[in-house]
Amino acid sequence: MIAAEQKPQTLLDALETTIVGQRVTLEALLYALIAGGHVLLEGPPGLAKTLACRALASAVGGSFKRIQFTPDLLPSDIVGTRVFDQRSGEFTTVLGPIFAHIVLADEVNRAPAKVQSALLEGMQEHQVTIGPQTFPLPDPFVVTATMNPLDSEGTYALPLAQMDRFLVKVLVDYPSTEEEGRILERFGGEQPAMPRDVVTVADVIAWRHAARAVHVEPRLKRYVVDLVAATRAKHDYVDRGASPRATLALAALARARALVDGRDFAVPDDVRAVAPAVLRHRLAFNYRTLTDKIDPESIVASVIGAVPTP
Amino acid sequence: MNFLAPVVAQASAQTLARLHVRSFVMTAEPKSLHVGDTLRLRIVTHVDENVGQLDNVTLPDLSGFDSLGDERACSSSGHGTECTEILALSPTETGDRTIAPTTLDAIDARNGKPSHFATNPVTIHVIGAAPQPNGVTRALIDDLLKPIAILILVGAAAYALLWGFGRRPRPKPALPRPVPQVVAPPAPVDPLPPLIAALAAERTRPRVLAVRDEIRRRVGAREDETLGDLLRRRAAGDDRALVDVLRAVERASFVDDDRLPGAIDEALAALSNWKRA
Repeated sequence: MIAAEQKPQTLLDALETTIVGQRVTLEALLYALIAGGHVLLEGPPGLAKTLACRALASAVGGSFKRIQFTPDLLPSDIVGTRVFDQRSGEFTTVLGPIFAHIVLADEVNRAPAKVQSALLEGMQEHQVTIGPQTFPLPDPFVVTATMNPLDSEGTYALPLAQMDRFLVKVLVDYPSTEEEGRILERFGGEQPAMPRDVVTVADVIAWRHAARAVHVEPRLKRYVVDLVAATRAKHDYVDRGASPRATLALAALARARALVDGRDFAVPDDVRAVAPAVLRHRLAFNYRTLTDKIDPESIVASVIGAVPTP
Repeated sequence: MNFLAPVVAQASAQTLARLHVRSFVMTAEPKSLHVGDTLRLRIVTHVDENVGQLDNVTLPDLSGFDSLGDERACSSSGHGTECTEILALSPTETGDRTIAPTTLDAIDARNGKPSHFATNPVTIHVIGAAPQPNGVTRALIDDLLKPIAILILVGAAAYALLWGFGRRPRPKPALPRPVPQVVAPPAPVDPLPPLIAALAAERTRPRVLAVRDEIRRRVGAREDETLGDLLRRRAAGDDRALVDVLRAVERASFVDDDRLPGAIDEALAALSNWKRA
């Protein structure tokens, strides 16, 4: 089924040697890597969000760049700029940190909209225009962005249209006490060892081809469409539902999950497992969610749960 | 067991249970019905903790419905607790009626904050009696249709009279009075063996799906449950052979057409093992 040297499960196992727990985060990173999308990680500081992204880049053996988003960041700090060379009398292009296989946009909501747009344009188009020239981004190209939900002072909320560009949004939760004990035992103050070159970029590209060939029965496609349509039904707490991009994302991630599980066909469990991560950042919750103190996650879960499985 | 007790006032944070709410869903069946019919409103809550009941649950306003009763149950396993409340309701008014979300107040175990969880709302389409004709329609009936109807009735009566005179009916021979027979109530028929036999005879996707639907019904799968949900819920009590059947039938239901015959063979073998076990 997979022409690659290594199987996706190998990468997942390697990541777990560095990251304790956080299985959902690691799976989301792997599925997004296979499905060719970008990941938004939201969670309090200290939960290994950045470490997970670094470990992924190190294990894949591709290039990795980290951009710390700050209020004074400029678009050219991300995409690159043109510099005048006095000796040759011509402009030369200096490529920015976005030109890497895996880009970590740390605290993406700390930069203004203009800077976020520069990153998100590259995410969507897989190319960047600097002056008169257009440069393709490497393949695979995955942006992993992090956000801290607790410290909102001095942040710029990502608009819904930009959130839609992220294939999945993962809520990174605190580890269990048992996992925290293992963290203490494994690292004990030392820098965690990174898995190095466990798979290659060619393996990832082969997985992508294999995932596209995973079979999705028409009944399952109908379920995917029904799930996304359910988000658009009249709801007390949701003003706007998910776009057709969510439909495509659900199908792509279900295929990726089936591939990682060693199957060449998707089942309802694949769709259901990835649905919260695909839908949670694509719904526009209204003010009543805040005034009634409703947990948005419970709304997402109830919308998903109300659709009969095939 | 009062696990869905409505709260009168907002509970203070000190009285709230600390819960990891996995799902909180409200469904109705049927969603389209007539005034006076009965619908089942089901509220299902799944939490990670083992609890005997859920407090601080507020049911929505159910005006426009008569309450016919309710059932409540909570079951705990190694995967937490699932609490279900089923309300039997009967609509008293026609039109689309939206039942607002049911809410649950608890300390969210993920962040330690008092939270207000809500289910989805449910919209019910209530159909009344057949609509009465409006004024224009009634005038049309009075002006045009009534004279025509009278003519037809008069004609039919004349024809029946003539036909009756021309043909005198023969007296019918007396039929023997049927002897009342005592019929035993039909024995309950297990629908699964015929479905498996039909699958063995005709190895097609619809036959697989029919077997899958019957097995899911038999093991008590809800319509919103995937195979994974079902296996997690029933993990403690299930036998290995049944789990193999569920997996094999799931595979045969979703595999591509080229691999379908092989998947059906595996499903039939698993069903055979299960039957033996």
